[in-house]
Amino acid sequence: MNNHWHEQIQRHMNGQSSAEESAALCEALKRDADLRALYLDYMNLDAALGEMAEAEATAVFGAGAPETTKPAQPLLGWHRWLWLAPSAASAALVILFCVIAEHRAASPSRPDIGELTSSVRTAISRLRPDMPPPIPAWMSPTAVLLKEPGHPY
Amino acid sequence: MPHLENQLEDKFRFLFAEHEPALRAFVRALLPTANDASEVTQEVAVVLWQKFGDFDASRDFRKWAFGVARYEVLAFLRDKGRDRHVFDADLVNKLADEADEAGPRHEAQRDALEDCLKKLPEARRALVLAAYAKGIRMDELAERRGQSAMSLYKALHRIRQSLLECVERTITRESLV
Repeated sequence: MNNHWHEQIQRHMNGQSSAEESAALCEALKRDADLRALYLDYMNLDAALGEMAEAEATAVFGAGAPETTKPAQPLLGWHRWLWLAPSAASAALVILFCVIAEHRAASPSRPDIGELTSSVRTAISRLRPDMPPPIPAWMSPTAVLLKEPGHPY
Repeated sequence: MPHLENQLEDKFRFLFAEHEPALRAFVRALLPTANDASEVTQEVAVVLWQKFGDFDASRDFRKWAFGVARYEVLAFLRDKGRDRHVFDADLVNKLADEADEAGPRHEAQRDALEDCLKKLPEARRALVLAAYAKGIRMDELAERRGQSAMSLYKALHRIRQSLLECVERTITRESLV
């Protein structure tokens, strides 16, 4: 294969080809099986070099490799449900409130408010000491003021 | 149930890791840029995992994965149909068939490449690995090295061509042995 096609394939790989060069390469690839084999070899080389550079960067930087050197991983296992976490937490809270409310409504030891206040009033009235009997009018300190004029006691 | 899901995930991870280099190379062969290939390979990985529950274990995982990858590449190219650098679907399908057939040869090339890379003079080896680092921009790399982008590309072309020749020599020698 002549150097022209090595050059053209690599320009295409680099994204340097003009539209005309790409069209010419496309037509040549359709016609020539050997050129397709060379093209596939270059692409295989390109992919393998990308992986080797990535492995080298990981070896140099280790866990602290720059983000651009790490391939994005498909979301596997529980990670792919991570987006459900906020919704699940909200649902759990709603269910918890419902259960508590139901438990309170069904509880047999819950006292009746009306009965409770009535019994408290009764208890208070029982504890209230009896009022002393009213004193006779004459014992009142103000009785003298009420006496009729001319009365000598 | 979580136990079964873990088993399924472990099986998927094992199979995917085994075939990932071939899958990456396959997708790369069908797309014009490395960034496009990386994006589509990720998409393929997600689709494979989503459909893995339906995968018949008696089938060949590689063939199944390549089928999914071809479909994803064609969908991607349809979306980018106006890009004049993109090959048409006929050629992409032809390349996909031949890349599939060339699987064992490409695997041997990848194995041989490690030794060929080690044989390169250190400066050339460092250059090619720097050029393939993820997220690198060639104009920035050229500036950092104090050379023009054009001369950098030319240097890379020579290195790649020599690597490809070294790989072919290695495979030929090994097949003779």
